[in-house]
Formats: sequence, structure tokens, C-alpha cells
Amino acid sequence: MLKYALRRILGMIPMLILVSIVVFFLAKAMPGDSLSGEIDPLNTNPEYIAEMREKLGYNDPVYVQYTRWITDFVQGDFGKSTRYKLPVSELVAEKLPNTIFLALTSLLITYVLAFAMGMYSGRRPYTLGDNLIFGFNYAGIAIPSFVAGVFAIYFFAFKLNWFPFAGSVDIEVDKGTIEYWMSRIHHVMLPAFVLGMFSTASYTQFLRNDLIENSRKDFVRTAMAKGTPTGKIYNVHILRNSIIPLVTFLGFDIAALVGGAIITEKIFTYPGIGLLFLDSVTSRDYPTVMAITMMLSAMVLIGNLIADILYGIVDPRIRLG
Amino acid sequence: MKRKSMLWLFAMILVLSAFLAACGGSGSDGASESDSGDSKKDGEQATGESGEAKKGGTLTYALDAVPEGLYNWAFYGIATDAEIIELFDESLIDYDENLEPVPNIASWETEDNQHFTFKFKEGVKWHNGEELTVNDWVFALETLADPEYDGTRYTNVQTIQGAPEFREGKADSISGLKVVDDYTIEITFDEPRVNNLVNLWSYPMPEKAFEGIPVAEMSASDVVRSKPVGLGPFKVENIVPGESVELVKNEDYWNGDVNLDKIIVRIIDNTATVGALQNGDVDMIAIQPVSGPEVEKLDNVEIVTAPGLSYYYVGFKLGKYDADKREIVEETPKYQDVNLRKAMAHAINREEWIDAFFFGYGKPVNKPVPSAHWIAADDSDVEVYDYDPEKAKELLDKAGYVDKDGDGFREDPKGEKFEVKFSHYATGNPTFESRAKALTQYWEEVGLKSKLEMVEVNLYYDMIEKDDSSIETFFGGWSTGSDPDPSGLWKTDEIWNYPRYNNPESDALLEKALSIEEVGDDKEKRKQIYADWQKLVTEDVPMIFIAELDEIYAKSDKVGGFELDVSGHNSPAEWYLNE
Repeated sequence: MLKYALRRILGMIPMLILVSIVVFFLAKAMPGDSLSGEIDPLNTNPEYIAEMREKLGYNDPVYVQYTRWITDFVQGDFGKSTRYKLPVSELVAEKLPNTIFLALTSLLITYVLAFAMGMYSGRRPYTLGDNLIFGFNYAGIAIPSFVAGVFAIYFFAFKLNWFPFAGSVDIEVDKGTIEYWMSRIHHVMLPAFVLGMFSTASYTQFLRNDLIENSRKDFVRTAMAKGTPTGKIYNVHILRNSIIPLVTFLGFDIAALVGGAIITEKIFTYPGIGLLFLDSVTSRDYPTVMAITMMLSAMVLIGNLIADILYGIVDPRIRLG
Repeated sequence: MKRKSMLWLFAMILVLSAFLAACGGSGSDGASESDSGDSKKDGEQATGESGEAKKGGTLTYALDAVPEGLYNWAFYGIATDAEIIELFDESLIDYDENLEPVPNIASWETEDNQHFTFKFKEGVKWHNGEELTVNDWVFALETLADPEYDGTRYTNVQTIQGAPEFREGKADSISGLKVVDDYTIEITFDEPRVNNLVNLWSYPMPEKAFEGIPVAEMSASDVVRSKPVGLGPFKVENIVPGESVELVKNEDYWNGDVNLDKIIVRIIDNTATVGALQNGDVDMIAIQPVSGPEVEKLDNVEIVTAPGLSYYYVGFKLGKYDADKREIVEETPKYQDVNLRKAMAHAINREEWIDAFFFGYGKPVNKPVPSAHWIAADDSDVEVYDYDPEKAKELLDKAGYVDKDGDGFREDPKGEKFEVKFSHYATGNPTFESRAKALTQYWEEVGLKSKLEMVEVNLYYDMIEKDDSSIETFFGGWSTGSDPDPSGLWKTDEIWNYPRYNNPESDALLEKALSIEEVGDDKEKRKQIYADWQKLVTEDVPMIFIAELDEIYAKSDKVGGFELDVSGHNSPAEWYLNE
């Protein structure tokens, strides 16, 4: 297992190098740079722009720029955001906790709901309850998150006043107190639910279908013939087999943990990585865009590795040496 | 059958709502109309509304864009940050409703527009308890002139005598700054100019707070990011990056009493603007024209508008510019005929267009200066291009643009196919394409075949700046500040003279308006020269002036004491809440 993990980690290095090349050249291929676009004759002048372009090295040949960036990157220097004028690492560190908090809450909601609904539907397929869940799921998949977000704000924040409509915390409470954490949880619930809706739907459907399929297999019939209680058959024998496809999702979930949710964060003005990424792309903040993209790529690779290792744990048949 | 059509209806509603939600997504315009200058507030004016100003209360002020978090005048980059800074810091010099400088913390004297003596009020305190002295101003000016300074404001310092030498490292201090005592300073400029004062950087920086921070690291420092220190009626208490700022009353405010206890600044998405105002979650916000009609319907909210300082235009590319030689090197022939340009101007129904796309929050502008500005010429003194398709057709006929092959569109005087190519920037905002399309349709109505091209916004300005040959006529916007001088956008040697308007007479007028010998202190004379210049530009039509937009604030009717004019809102010290 360890050898396998090491081999996979080594295999990631050329992948990451390739990704870095693609990321860099795609970023450079975006029209304009951080100094074009919003020209304000009041507080800048063409000389300043020319000077800054020179200072930032935008006039150097592309391969020189790439080598410079990747050398710094490997040494842990992700560059300085041209927009926020802060080191990118600080910027990301500032937003990352918010994003992780949102993603974990949404994952928790997803897993709890998906397991509850999936187990129910899988055990009682084609009943009224199953059909209701089915309907709910397809609505969840079909409604895009920006529509769901806007409607959720309208109903739950403005009409019912259950949740705040924006932000991640009430600024007037003191940091570190219980109140502070309650306020954060209160703020995160609505975006987390909207964010989790889509994956809840697909997880539930996958779990349900897999449960139904597995319940018709020979080992289930054997277990039944032996007189094992139905509850035990479902919770132990079938569920363990049905979790396997979900583990594949988990790999992506890990990447999503740090990737943030661009649209949800924007609608709820939740200051996380997704919002930062969106702003950086529109303002051509290359160092930030490239650092976040690299971080996401690395997380996808790591997430997949973890998923592969987890396969072995849930299913001894695919255990690798 | 019936059921199916219901399903279709339902599906269409879903699609439509998705589309509408997307519309709300990106409201800010890509163009440069974002920043209406370092607009300031009138500290001296008493509350204009009737009734006693009530004390206490917390006001929630919202912004619909995310600030970058650079809370200092010297370092901020976007208007959103400036909106927050305005709440807790102020300038030494103010501007009145005619955009004329008036003393605030500092008053000044000058005889020749080159040597100025500034006197500070005594006892004005920074939020950290230190007293404001002229040294804080010297510190700010030297920071801006430092080669390590990473902001854009060196232009506001470079006219001080000795600033270029200081920046190049040839001098240890700026020779034009002479501190007389803690409250008096003499500033000498490199030459007399009428706009030396308005161009000068008028924001001191708290020297003690920045102590020990190298200039290169200032913009990343806590004094700029999380614990800004200002002079204004409110102090920054707490900042949650990217989402809210808590400001509390400054008990030691130098200029009278502050009514409110607290201002909470919240960042919201503009899809939530209407709901938040209706629910009272937000008391005040500067809104986009598109939200106007919906906000107007709310009972508990009123809309306050003031003329803005930005204008939109359609430019013609008349030449090519060489950035190294700093001159216009060749003429682009296609739109050289002034009658063609005039006809295209007459073809556009600006009122209709503004009502359709800005919901009436704006009006047609007839000159290269927003009409609220004191140098703006009267409309009777410039050439006005009202909507007049008949006249447009007449002008085109006269210029030789007639339909020779009977396809319904005009050919150029040589008889070749003629097509107006119009470019507009594209962002996520879906209204941009329709508003651009509307303009091309006006031209088609007078028989000019037109083609629209939407270009991604960053690329767009790059192409305009480099005179890319695919840009022929283009949409743009400029904002102007309190300094009236339009040279930076109009002189032949300026890169931001995007139409490449090349008329020596215009250059001469612009220079004359700034010349001390010609104008001196005579404001009327200066205004007259600018009026002559505006007349000249409107006669030459290097661009069709389209619209000037209003600044729009929505405020809850609980909020009192709020005033808005062309120089921005009044001091937040005067705002109060009726409960």
C-alpha cells in the first residue's frame, strides 16, 4: 500500500509540471493584463502603466516569465497578487478557512441527507416515498445553483428571516466566543444547503440504484436463506458494496473542499476561494489565478489518490500491492 | 396536448428565471466610468433637512462590489475601496458643489500659482491619538514620490519642485516642500499653473502609524489593510476581509459632533439589493440604474440622485498613434468626412436609448465635459446633435453617401460598399450587446449598413489603445474629476486621445486655458477658453457624445441628513437615524 501510494505521488510530478505549463500559457493567452481595462485618467498615467509592465516583467519573453514563475513556485513563493498587492499565499490563507468551513458543512449536509434518503429509497423502491425523493432529486439536479441561491435568499432570508442573506459572520460579535461560532454556523447554513443540493441528489440516486442492484445479487439471497435479519443485510452486506461508487465522488469532493463554489459564494457574498478566483480572473490577476489553479489541480490528484486508497479499504477485492 | 404546453410554459419560466438571475450577476461596467474621482464631502454644511438630528443608532451601508481591502487614499485602486475610505478619512481640501476647492483642514494662500502657503487647523487628531501636523503631509508626498511606491498617484506629486529628483534618488527630500512650523508649510511647484492646487495630493498619511514600514511593504501592511488610521468622523473598529467593516463614532472628531454611533459596511451581491433594502437589512447603498425601477416601488426607501461626472461616447478612429514618438503619425481615411460623422450623430435617438438602457437615470450630453462641471459650456454655445434622421440623410446625400446599387444601404462617394463597423466591450452583462445593437440600428435606419462586434473588455481597451485596424467606431466612457483640465484625454500627444483627434487649434486652446500669462486667476476667462474648445470639438465630432449618468443612492426613509451633489455625498458625521 505504501509503495503504491509513493509510486502514485511520484507519478504526480510530471502531471503537475504539465498542468503548470498549460495553466501558465492559458493565463498568458487571456487578452489584456492586470493593467489594461480599467483605465482611470484621474489617478494614473501611461508612463506609470508602462513602468509597471516593465517592473512586473510582462515585456520579457514568455519562456523567461514561465521559468521565473515556476522556480519561485516550487520554492513556495506564489508571487504577489497584482490586484490586492498581497502575497498570494496570504490571500489564499485568508480565504481558505471560509471555503473549507462551507465545503465541510455542505458535505456533512450532503452525506447525512444522501444516506438517509438513499437507504430509504433503496430499500423501498417504487413506493410513494421513493417517488417523492426521486422528484426532489431531479429538481435538485435540474435547478442551477444560481437560481436556487437567489430563491433561497428570497424565501429563507427575506421572507422568513431564518438566515442572513450575505456574508460569513456578523461583524459585531467578538471573535473566538461561542456567539461568534454560532453566528458563523448561522451564516454558512443557507449557502451550504444550496451548494449541497446538487451532490445530495446525485449521491442519493447512485446509492439507491446500487442498493437495488445489489439486493438482487446471490450473496443477498444466501444471507436471506441463512435467516439474517433484513436490516443487517442492508446495513452490512449491501451498503458496504454500494459505497464503492460513492468513494469515487469523495475524490472530487476533496478538491471541491478547497476549490470553493464560485457561483454560490458570489450570490451569498461569502468570501472564499471561489469568489477570489472569479475576481482574479476578471481583473487578470495572473499570480492568484495560477496559484489557485495549481492548488486545485494538486488537490484533484491527491483526492483521486485518497479515493484509490479508500477503495482498498472498503473493498478488499481491489486492494493493491 | 394541453398538459404538454403547460410543461413547456414551466420550462420556459425556469429558463427565463435563470437568465434573469444571470443578468443580475455582473452589474459593474467594464469601462473606466467606475471612479468619479477622489470625491469629497462638504464638512462645513449643516444638515439640510428639517427637524432635529437624532443621536445614536447604527446605520448599515452596503456596497455591491467586493473591496480589495486597500483602505488608504494613497494605495487604493478601485472605487469600492474609496467609498469605504470616505467614511473614515478626509482630505485637507474640499470641493463645493461647483467642484471648486474650499478649505477643509488646511487653508492656503498663493500669489502666483507657483508658491503656496498652507495652514493646518490646530488640534486635529488622527484616530490613533496623534495630532495631525504638516509633517504627516510631507510624509505622504514623499511616500508617493518614492521609487518603491506601488500605487498610481505619483502624478499628483510630480509637479512639486524637486519631486522628480527625489524619485530618481538624486535628493534626500523634495526641495519644493518647506516646513515652517507644525501647522504651516510652503509648497513650491516647478512652474506656475492654474491647476496646481487641484492636482496636488491633499491626503496626509499618519507618519507615526507607518513608522518602520518600508514604502514597498506599505500596501500590504496592517495600517492599510486591517487597522487603517484616518481623520474622519468614524474610526475603523473591525474588518472582516471581503464582507464587512465596522466603523464607530470618533469622539475626538475635529469638525463638530457626529450623530451616529456606528456604521456597518456590508458587501452584498446586487441580486440581493432590492430585498435587503425592503427588509431594512440595509439602510443605504449606491445602486446601479438597472435596480432603479424596482427600488422606486419600495415604500420605505427613497432614491437620491445627483449628476455624475462621467460620460459615454461613440468614438471614431481618425488616425494612428505612435506611443514612442508620442504623436499621431497617420490618418485613417474611413471616417474623415465630417458630414458623415455629423450624420451619424444626428441619427441616434439618445433620449430613447438612455430611457431604454439606463431607465432614465441619465441624460444626453452634448460636449466632452459633464454638464455639472463649472467649465461646461452652455448647450447654446456648442453644436448640439439632436435626433434628426432627415437631417442625417440630407448630410449623407450631400457628402456623397448615396445608395447606388439599390440594396437599401448607402455606398461611399466612390461608389463602393460602405459598412460602419462598431465595437463595444463585452463583460458578463447581457445588456451591453443589446444597447450596442440599438446604436447600430439607428445608423441602419438612415441607410448606413452597420456591423457590431463585441470584444472582451480587457482586450477591447488594448485594441483601442494600439489603434488596432479592426476598431473603427467604438463605445467608451470617461470620468472626469475636480480638475477640469481635459488635456490628458484630448491632446494630440496623449495616448488616451483614443479617436486620435488631431487639431492644432484644440491643442492651442487647451494650453491657453492652463497658461498663467493668458488666464492668471481669471476664472471667467478660463471658462470661456474651455467653452471655445468645447465648441470646436463638437463641430469636429471626433466622437458622438451620448449620455451622462446620474449617481444614484437608495436610502431608507429612516436615514436623515444625507445630501448628494456632484462632488459626492456629504460628511457622514451629519447622517442620522430616525427610529
